[in-house]
Amino acid sequence: MALMRDAFIDELFEQAKADKKIIFISADFGAAALDKFREELSEQFIHAGISEQNMVDMGAGFAISGKKPVLYAMAPFLLHRAYEQIKSVVSAMNLPVTFVSVGCGLGYDHATFTHFTPEDVAIAKCLSHMEVWTCSDSVIAAELSRHVMKLPKLRYIRLERNFMPDLELVDCQKTLTEGFRDFGKINAKTCIVSSGYLTHKAIKVMKSHPELDVSVVDLIRIKPLSNQLITRLNSCKKIITLEEQLLEGGIGSGIIEALSDKGMLADKKIKRMGLLDGFDVFNGDRDYLHESYGLSEKALEQVLLE
Amino acid sequence: MEANKIEFFRTKAKSIRYQLLQMLYEQKAGHIPSCYSMLDFLTVLFYGPHIRFEKGNPGFSNRDKLIISKGHAAMALYPIFADLDYFDSNELKKFTQPGGLLGLYADYRVPGIEGISGSLGHGIGMATGFILSDRMDKIKRDVYVVIGDGECYEGSIWEAAIFAAAHKLHEMKVILDRNELCILGKTEELVALGDLQAKWSAFGWNVIAIDGHDYSAVDKALLESKSCITKPTIIIANTTKGKGISFMEGNASWHNKIPTQDLFERAFAELSQEEAI
Repeated sequence: MALMRDAFIDELFEQAKADKKIIFISADFGAAALDKFREELSEQFIHAGISEQNMVDMGAGFAISGKKPVLYAMAPFLLHRAYEQIKSVVSAMNLPVTFVSVGCGLGYDHATFTHFTPEDVAIAKCLSHMEVWTCSDSVIAAELSRHVMKLPKLRYIRLERNFMPDLELVDCQKTLTEGFRDFGKINAKTCIVSSGYLTHKAIKVMKSHPELDVSVVDLIRIKPLSNQLITRLNSCKKIITLEEQLLEGGIGSGIIEALSDKGMLADKKIKRMGLLDGFDVFNGDRDYLHESYGLSEKALEQVLLE
Repeated sequence: MEANKIEFFRTKAKSIRYQLLQMLYEQKAGHIPSCYSMLDFLTVLFYGPHIRFEKGNPGFSNRDKLIISKGHAAMALYPIFADLDYFDSNELKKFTQPGGLLGLYADYRVPGIEGISGSLGHGIGMATGFILSDRMDKIKRDVYVVIGDGECYEGSIWEAAIFAAAHKLHEMKVILDRNELCILGKTEELVALGDLQAKWSAFGWNVIAIDGHDYSAVDKALLESKSCITKPTIIIANTTKGKGISFMEGNASWHNKIPTQDLFERAFAELSQEEAI
């Protein structure tokens, strides 16, 4: 078990040793694994200063020049601080820049207002060409690092800040191709769709209710959603989406849109669990925040039993 | 500088001004004054020549790079690029038209354009990536960036300025088009930019201030910039927005206006006069 950022960067380090086009650029954000990268591959590491705007424009310059830049910062700042740079330069030219953020959603629980990131999925999704990925454990983070560097594209990768136990990974290739993995009975009539930290909670709730016909989908690629995922969800009668994002533009809205586009909504009950517009900010740890925002295990149980 | 060289630059600049005026008037789109303030130093940059290029080959691997970071004036490059055979000069007649190659802002798909610009404050940052990548690949080239003074309001300019100086990116040659106007009026009356020479110098740059319409001074400054190998250079070119057309000169309201037929003819006549430039 490792921190996702260490797993991602350790794997990136191995690739960067062989591929001098990989350039790691940090806006003053670290990781234990990054210390090794900085020391042994110093020519491929750049400290951008706490200057996200310049980091993105510089990353664009590297990408235009044929390099494979990886831009790394805390989740609340990476996209938000440099959004116009990403939109006008990187996205507009469809440049192969990999954005890696740490601490998405409510990951910086005690840091509150400035460090919550309840909209990064929405703002990343609506950038043209941008793929959006999220990790629920360090194994997926390492596999994703390998996967994305094989064919660099414009991608936003969301990593959790804290330790997460590793979940079962049966078929890595299938998981990354289809962008999700299943837990529980695949044919269950009820499915909880979640990602990252909340996937762990969803699995816990599912396991504590063996009497219920429920499964969990760990969503790894939020954009684009795969046809396999939509087909998989079409077999359900009830879908619960659970996220630390504002409901506007979050994971749940993406699932509803995709099902609607395929004409698959009519016979389904869908409940979105997430942050509501105007949500209040409290001091407390992540679990306390979940209780406050109706995202706790108990709240999920109630929705399951409805 | 020899008189015949000055005459050569004057003739070239006049020809480009003519072509631009015709191009923008016909399509009723574009930014004439923003182009005209930088046209004299662009002429010296390309026809000095100071920037390294290969005629007919915009992808020439050993070329120097140029970004017009004040992307609303990147159209000033189109007549020059047509002259360098980067594309068919007939494209100038199709400016902003469906099926045409050339748009209102810098489009990376146009041969010779190194990257998108149009929103302000990106050029120096992109150039830092170009230069660091070149250093890794052991490629020696200069990267020129033209910024506007109004663009200096953008915070990203100063983020890039800190970074470029810290990394001693001496390959960076920025030309600041100091025409003292933004859309709503004079910079010093709206939000004063103050002593830009002192500010860039304090940020660790090699600063050269010149009259941006003096061919000899531009030529000398570009030569001087090449000899600085410890710092990035910024040439502060003091210019007049709309230079060459009397009723546009220093008049903020002409930023994105296209003259009526009467005024177009008057502008054309003014450009024909030797003293106009």
